[in-house]
Amino acid sequence: MTDARTAPSRSVNTVLGPVPADDLGVVSVHEALLSVVPGAEHAYDITIDRAEVFEVLAKKLTDFRNAGGGTIVDSTGMFYGRDVRLYEALSRSTGVHVVASTGMGPEEMLGGYFLTPQTNPPTPWPAERFADLFSQEVSEGMVVPRVERRGGAGLVATTATREGMTATDESLFRGAARAARDTGVPVSIRFGADAVHDLEVVLSEQLPADRVVVGGLDRRDAVDAGAPLEVARRGAYVALDHVGSDSVDRDDDDAHLTDRERAALVVELVQAGHADRILLSSNAIGVAVGQPAYDLPFSHVCSTFVPFAKSLGLSDEDARRILVGNPRDLLTVR
Amino acid sequence: MSKVNTVLGTIPAEELGVVAVHEHIGYGMPGSELDSKWWKTPEQRYEETVPKLRAFHEYGGGTFVDVTGICNGRDVDYYKSLSAKTGVHIVACTGFVGGDTALPHFARASVDYLTRQFVSEITVGIGDTGSRAGVIKVGVSRGGRMTELDKRIYRAAARAALTTGVPIMTHLAIDAETAIAIFSEEGLPLDRVLFGHADDGVNAEKTRDTWIAEQGGRVGFDTFGYETELEDPPFWARPRKERLDHFLRFIGQGHLDKVLASADANCSPLGWPGVKGHTVNYVFEDLIPDLREAGVDEATITTIFVDNPADFLTIRT
Ligand SMILES: [Zn+2]
Repeated sequence: MTDARTAPSRSVNTVLGPVPADDLGVVSVHEALLSVVPGAEHAYDITIDRAEVFEVLAKKLTDFRNAGGGTIVDSTGMFYGRDVRLYEALSRSTGVHVVASTGMGPEEMLGGYFLTPQTNPPTPWPAERFADLFSQEVSEGMVVPRVERRGGAGLVATTATREGMTATDESLFRGAARAARDTGVPVSIRFGADAVHDLEVVLSEQLPADRVVVGGLDRRDAVDAGAPLEVARRGAYVALDHVGSDSVDRDDDDAHLTDRERAALVVELVQAGHADRILLSSNAIGVAVGQPAYDLPFSHVCSTFVPFAKSLGLSDEDARRILVGNPRDLLTVR
Repeated sequence: MSKVNTVLGTIPAEELGVVAVHEHIGYGMPGSELDSKWWKTPEQRYEETVPKLRAFHEYGGGTFVDVTGICNGRDVDYYKSLSAKTGVHIVACTGFVGGDTALPHFARASVDYLTRQFVSEITVGIGDTGSRAGVIKVGVSRGGRMTELDKRIYRAAARAALTTGVPIMTHLAIDAETAIAIFSEEGLPLDRVLFGHADDGVNAEKTRDTWIAEQGGRVGFDTFGYETELEDPPFWARPRKERLDHFLRFIGQGHLDKVLASADANCSPLGWPGVKGHTVNYVFEDLIPDLREAGVDEATITTIFVDNPADFLTIRT
């Protein structure tokens, strides 16, 4: 938990410290600033020029701010290129609040330390150890590996294996849920094969549903299974977080709804009474290393998508709730 | 000309001296850097490491081969400063301790890509350090059998060894049939491979050390000092006498020219507690005296610690 003596009463953990929740403005909850596939930093054919990375990200954040954006959540966790000191400098220079995340996953993305530890037998980490690791990142600060801790993480983010949650993924989910429960920050889950199943895993750790955001609910298979409505009914946040996916050229771009279909889903969820559970984001990657670029402006949601959703009947009030109120409630440390 | 890549540049093999062929300045599993329970200040790391290297040098140690793989906390700039200040030659490696220590970027990579990675680190340099790798590390993942990824790494290592002339060192010598099949398919002479950890407590029984030597491979008795007699021995420890007898038996079988020995110690471990009381200097403080006591002559000791490693480490062009 943030220090009660210095933290405002209703606050959000940003890389520059706790910020009053009402100051966040328009929030994008599932984005990536610097995204590095684990190991790519050691590749012979990759160099990461920090000044260059900064310049690219600063431009994108400034563009987001000029479009009315207030806060970017880097939801890539602690082991996918997260660079806390760079994010501090970016936030200071652009005026955009940056919330960074702890957490890891899916199993394939973990280091051997967690999967084949130097014990006999090499048993993968249990939930409790992940919970401790993630909780420390919230309460004591996010790590600059082997150097120091900085500000506290603003959420715990984890992901399950696409083909279905593995045993280690389940430990990650349970550990993330416990860390969220114990520290008061929310948990973000990206489901594997079954959104409702994966949500139930974190809820079974006595974490209130309104502390959970389920990402990827604009994936076709999840929509076909009725997952967005079901997740909202259970009280968790529904992240339709591939906004703009049909305007980016990618191999898997038909895995998600088009913006037209997505906007219709937003309207449908609102009509079903779940306006207070919807979140919009684009999973854009500011700078992608060791992976294809996913180059979408962070402002796509507020500049392009929301006006379009309004043309389909989304009210100004609900749009504001989705862009500002819902993420504020989610991110406020309890 | 006989050349070896060290972190401070190329040196003649004649300058290597006594070599500890399988060691670690500091080893940690990938991801251990995220767990602050293991963190040490830079002061503490130098404090733990420098006296060991200085003692190594004073005992007559010439060269320390660090076989900490790419994602295990290998830190070449740090090795350069240690080498320059202590006078110990340090050889760094490219490659991976095992498939289970290769992070996703490499775990997903093709044999071709891995080959280019290794060749680049051997011929251009590791990262932006300018230091060239002097050996290629490969290994068997936990579980006792080579995984598909282990095999990809072995094949890439074989190709890089053929291209560059740098030798290969393995972590574990179990499942050696599979490894040797890959090296043979790639046309790599087996004297360019040191099959390591033939002597450890968990795997010695399962390791076909004499068979490997008969095929032409080199055999590493390179976990000397991980003894059950220690105050807090690790799970791979072995009774001291049992390992020594194993070593003497192997040499007695006519395989002196194939043998290498080392301690596999960490000067300052990165992601695990390490083993109290175990250092690279076991070679001088315990092993060489034990060999002398067992009647091994000085010429043989020189063969094991000077000539064999020089022949092995020399870049073959
Ligand atoms: Zn080793």
